[in-house]
Amino acid sequence: MEVLGNLFGGFATALQPVNIAFLFIGVTLGLVIGVLPGLGGTSGVAILLPISVVIARGDIAGANATTAVILLAGIYWGALFGGVITSILFNIPGEPWSVVLLFDGFPLAKRRGKPGLALTSSFLASFVGAFIATLLFTFFAQFVAEKALSFGPAELFAVFVLSFATLVGLGAESPFKALAMLATGLLLAAVGFDTISGSQRLIPLVGVENDALRSFQINLLSGIGFVPVTIGLFGIGEILASAEEQGIGYMEKISARLGFSDLLEALAALRQRIRLVVSNSIIGFLFGVLPGHGATAASFLGYGLARQYAKNKQDFGKGEISGIMGPQATADAAGVASLVPMVTLGVPGSPTSAVIMAGLFVWGLQPGPLLFTEHKDFVWGLIASIYLGHLLTFVICLLAVPLLAMIMRVPYAIITPFIVVISVIGSYSLNNSMLDVTWTILFGLVGYWLRKMHYPLAPLVVALVLGDSTERELRKSLIAGSGNLGFFFSTPLASLLMFLAVVVILIPIVRVVIARVRRTPVPVAPDAD
Amino acid sequence: MRPYQVGTAAAIVLIAAVAMFDSRRVLSPAPGTAPGDVGSAWYPFWAAAVVAFGAAVAGYQALTRPQPKEGVFAGAGSVAAVAKLVIPMLLYAVSFAWLGFYLATGVYMGFFAAYIGRYKPWWSLASAVLTPLAIFLLFEVGFRLILPRSIFYPGIPF
Repeated sequence: MEVLGNLFGGFATALQPVNIAFLFIGVTLGLVIGVLPGLGGTSGVAILLPISVVIARGDIAGANATTAVILLAGIYWGALFGGVITSILFNIPGEPWSVVLLFDGFPLAKRRGKPGLALTSSFLASFVGAFIATLLFTFFAQFVAEKALSFGPAELFAVFVLSFATLVGLGAESPFKALAMLATGLLLAAVGFDTISGSQRLIPLVGVENDALRSFQINLLSGIGFVPVTIGLFGIGEILASAEEQGIGYMEKISARLGFSDLLEALAALRQRIRLVVSNSIIGFLFGVLPGHGATAASFLGYGLARQYAKNKQDFGKGEISGIMGPQATADAAGVASLVPMVTLGVPGSPTSAVIMAGLFVWGLQPGPLLFTEHKDFVWGLIASIYLGHLLTFVICLLAVPLLAMIMRVPYAIITPFIVVISVIGSYSLNNSMLDVTWTILFGLVGYWLRKMHYPLAPLVVALVLGDSTERELRKSLIAGSGNLGFFFSTPLASLLMFLAVVVILIPIVRVVIARVRRTPVPVAPDAD
Repeated sequence: MRPYQVGTAAAIVLIAAVAMFDSRRVLSPAPGTAPGDVGSAWYPFWAAAVVAFGAAVAGYQALTRPQPKEGVFAGAGSVAAVAKLVIPMLLYAVSFAWLGFYLATGVYMGFFAAYIGRYKPWWSLASAVLTPLAIFLLFEVGFRLILPRSIFYPGIPF
């Protein structure tokens, strides 16, 4: 009952006019971002982080940190839906998690001539998946947060280790590449002042007399900003990858206008597949709670499950609605679930939630279990806004598909430099720093290259945002245990989490062994969102 | 693909080695630290060591395992498409410090429309003028985020 009372309080917060207005702005921007192939949800959220700072500090009447998080989360929900439109109508995935819709969404739209049904089925499954995940979020988040309040440094460090282990052990790319990227994120987070001793670290060419270099070194003392790096890796990196595809690209086009009959047909299809959609939503939620595995990996998992348990396997790849609803429900549930560890434990579940978590730090909030006691309005306002955000996104999608599809017609020569320009504004305006712009461009080029070399970027981003906390808990544990490593196993929970981390990290080895026994190649899926 | 994979791994190992060298004081800990206190260099040193280990194994795997025969780029067309975006973007970022945000953005948008889009001059001019204007109205007027001015400021207002 306490949960329901809190939820009603959250709705009272989320339904304030200013919050509804920014939720609308957020989901609309998210839909646009989702439709644009060169811009993803993560970079969209990162670019708008400076604006969220203005909102959170109360410069706009009635707005506060809750408004800011509603805006950023709204972008994420919009992007989760928006990528679908281009996958189904143009055979171009607007987001990584909508790649899977090319298998059945586009064939249903083109070969079977039912674009309206393909889109509506997808939106409906997304909505149901997100709704179920938000219900689970509502009823389990507070319980997890209450348990997490009793965590000491050993348990907290074990949570971080388990998060990192899932990024390495359950990733789609080479575990060694994931390990290198993860440790790179931790290394980048260590640049500047050590927060415990105050000594400076990883500052290049100290002692060399040069004014420009000294200015660079002074700027570097405060560390490498998470936001410029993320905008570079995901914003500039994606636009470069997109530019390459545009150079050799080919676009299919189908026009669509959704009618009431499409909605009725999709509802009938949903009724026939309700067990699939509900089970995939629950699985998506459980999968999305694991750090680093957002909607993309979940969408492939959802497609695999839908096909595995279907009686008509032969119809998959030819426009089967289960091949649309299964992955969509899983992906959206995972997207919602990625906020759960952020709110309850202070660990981001995906790169996008890592950016939102960075926003919390900038707004002066401490992500983690204390949010539930110290900032109740914020947490429950966010949870209520997830219900509202998905409902709003669903309605906008039904009404505005032709309008959203038109965004694809904005010429490349306009939209591409425009994305670069807003990326630059996003990285500059958080600290008014030209060095941040340099980081954005540099990490854009680096991210583009790493992507081509199949190095996963999600571990780098999550480790960068968690680097300081990980080091703090590690060193606190070592000091508390007087250097005795047994302290990390001093409580049953810490031991269990460490054991799970070891199990998860061994998964790639087990996969290789199984593949060798069966003499089949290990499957490779795209990078996580 | 193999030379690129190995080269990338080697570059990452080199960066990690530099970071380890910078944190080398971890190898000679100062006396008098509290029991269990590993000091400030310990964490970056071992993080860099893990980076080097992961990249070295990835490089070794690239050397010893079969790699796709095709190169990094699909062809000259895709290289040109990326270069057309990267070079103006770098020039835009460099010019930012002197031309300020609005002038640099106007030139960048106009150039892209004229050179890449092959639009007629008035469309390119419209893109060059309207984009900075829209950004000014949204960010400076709407959200009060001040963006850098050019070296000509205050002679011209942007």
